Amino acid sequence: MADEPDEATSPEPIPPLAETPDLPDEERRWSLPSLLVLYLTAVAVAVAVVYHLGTVFLSIAPANPVSQRHATAINAHVLPEFEQNWQLFAPNPLQQNIAVQARVQTVDSTGHRLDSPWIDLTARDVAAIRGNPLPSHVNQNQLRRAWDYYTAWHDQQTEKSTGFGGPLSEEYLKRIGLQRIGRDWEGMAVIQIQFRSATTDVTGPSWTGAPATTSPSYRQLPWWPANDDDYRGLGVS
Amino acid sequence: MSQATLNRLADAGFSGWTTVTGRTLAAYQAAVVRIGVALTFGGFLLREWPHRRVLYGDLSPWSGDLARQMLASNHAFTVLAWSDGRWWFEGVYAAAIAVSVLMLLGWRTRATSLLFMVLVLSLQNRAVLVGDGGDNVIHLMAIYLAFTRCGQVWSLDARAARRGTRRTGDPVGVVVWAALGLALAYCQLSGFASLGMLDFGLYSWGTFFWLCWLLAGLRGLLARRAPEGEGLALLDALATLVHNAAMLVIAAEVCFIYATAGWYKIQGSLWQGGTALWYPLHLHYFEPWPGLADGLSGSSTLVTAITYGTVIAQVGFPFLVFNRRIKNVMLTLMIAEHLGIAIVLGLPFFSLAMITADAVFLPTGFLARLGQGVARGVARIAATPVVRQTIMRAPRTPERDPEAVSVIR
Repeated sequence: MADEPDEATSPEPIPPLAETPDLPDEERRWSLPSLLVLYLTAVAVAVAVVYHLGTVFLSIAPANPVSQRHATAINAHVLPEFEQNWQLFAPNPLQQNIAVQARVQTVDSTGHRLDSPWIDLTARDVAAIRGNPLPSHVNQNQLRRAWDYYTAWHDQQTEKSTGFGGPLSEEYLKRIGLQRIGRDWEGMAVIQIQFRSATTDVTGPSWTGAPATTSPSYRQLPWWPANDDDYRGLGVS
Repeated sequence: MSQATLNRLADAGFSGWTTVTGRTLAAYQAAVVRIGVALTFGGFLLREWPHRRVLYGDLSPWSGDLARQMLASNHAFTVLAWSDGRWWFEGVYAAAIAVSVLMLLGWRTRATSLLFMVLVLSLQNRAVLVGDGGDNVIHLMAIYLAFTRCGQVWSLDARAARRGTRRTGDPVGVVVWAALGLALAYCQLSGFASLGMLDFGLYSWGTFFWLCWLLAGLRGLLARRAPEGEGLALLDALATLVHNAAMLVIAAEVCFIYATAGWYKIQGSLWQGGTALWYPLHLHYFEPWPGLADGLSGSSTLVTAITYGTVIAQVGFPFLVFNRRIKNVMLTLMIAEHLGIAIVLGLPFFSLAMITADAVFLPTGFLARLGQGVARGVARIAATPVVRQTIMRAPRTPERDPEAVSVIR
């Protein structure tokens, strides 16, 4: 895709305040084939713009009869590259601090098994964000969104996968935990990992006299085995 | 309808037609978006340099296998799915930084904007789960920019055009064009492009890239063989048409962002109650400066004012941008709010992306004056003896300004 050389060939300098003129089209008399190409392209571009903006709008607007009726067509155009979601802190902002914690089970040379205490992975993220003008996606998004992804694809009561993202989100969350904790815990090899979330309500505005909430509620996942395959490509030894 | 009305309608239609096919509208705004998006993405890549392999590369917990399972179902485009090798990833990441710089400078924007889009999609789609709203804005703008003439002003392209420094025949352009064609053909024919990402189809990346390549080649050929001919003029008119449509889409996209963000907020009880702002300020993930957040949220008046102000501004944005005077006040407020978000919520790249999106609506006169001001400032700095001595190719010893030398030492 070579450079577009129209700048290289247009002799006049660009006047600072005007829109840049390309060609004095008012004076150009197009031949019939050119005119046909121009008309057809103009119609095609207009249709494409209307279709694109229409489907994108319907994909981000609240569900309505039109978007439900045309869901297949909308998704076919919008997904995956035009997917978007602008429910930023809406309809209501999140009112809970969700901390993801993990513990590992290790085995020593005599076959004795030992559980580590709970390790607050979110607290580590928060510590890295504190006082940092440029927080990294590793700390701000990776674990937070992995947990969202897990909860979106699992039944809250049974922790059973509810579909496509279930196994993916389990493997992803497991590997984040394993990468952050490492291959060993206090010198002993990790053989299992378990996650839980500790959810604390944000205390309401101080001037309302809302009572401070302190005790978190927990959601605990089953133990997941951790083998060499799970550690592949994590860069921890 | 009277004959006069019909004539006036016909005149308006004709002048509209010559405008959309003949004039590159919003050239400054396109340049602002180009510069802002390149700055945001390039800055982000530099900031994440220490974490790049964990976020998008060979050390990611979102392994190549996991990524490919998701990509096989959602058909997103990323060259990083083609190989899990460390050096393929490092090459793509380095290329993304380099292309961001070229995009920022506006070097051969027709090809560069396409490459930029490919690299943005590649990195983001490799690990879509580490992204946030800022990445989403960059993603969309990178695609839209590929359809614009974003290098008409404030670019190396524009400078080359002004000075006429690009040689006739433009050998560098031909080399870039040939290299990209070869790379595309290799990826496609060798089977390196996996998951069918470059397969042909009526609506596929393979077809789109080859179409761009063929059109660019045709244009280069016509510019050389028949620079006065109608073919070249026709291609330019088509490119202008597509540019103007893409700028319209970018503007509409920004309105969508604000409209839906506001639309969902007015349905929320906390936004209605005027306390919504309190909560994001107390989420640990978005609280880099707890003292600042506490200070800001300590005043119930301030919290209510910002909560309501945000909703009013977002819901009203799409309508107010059509009124010149109110629009400029709105833009100032939106940009100020995003600067606040950058610091208070610790979201600098999200905020920069949003400010870039806002900038699409800045008035042309303001942008042109801004550009002239920056150019004068740069010229003045470049003219100071220190910079002349250190950066510019300085004259040899005999002419050297003794005062400047002492400053350097």
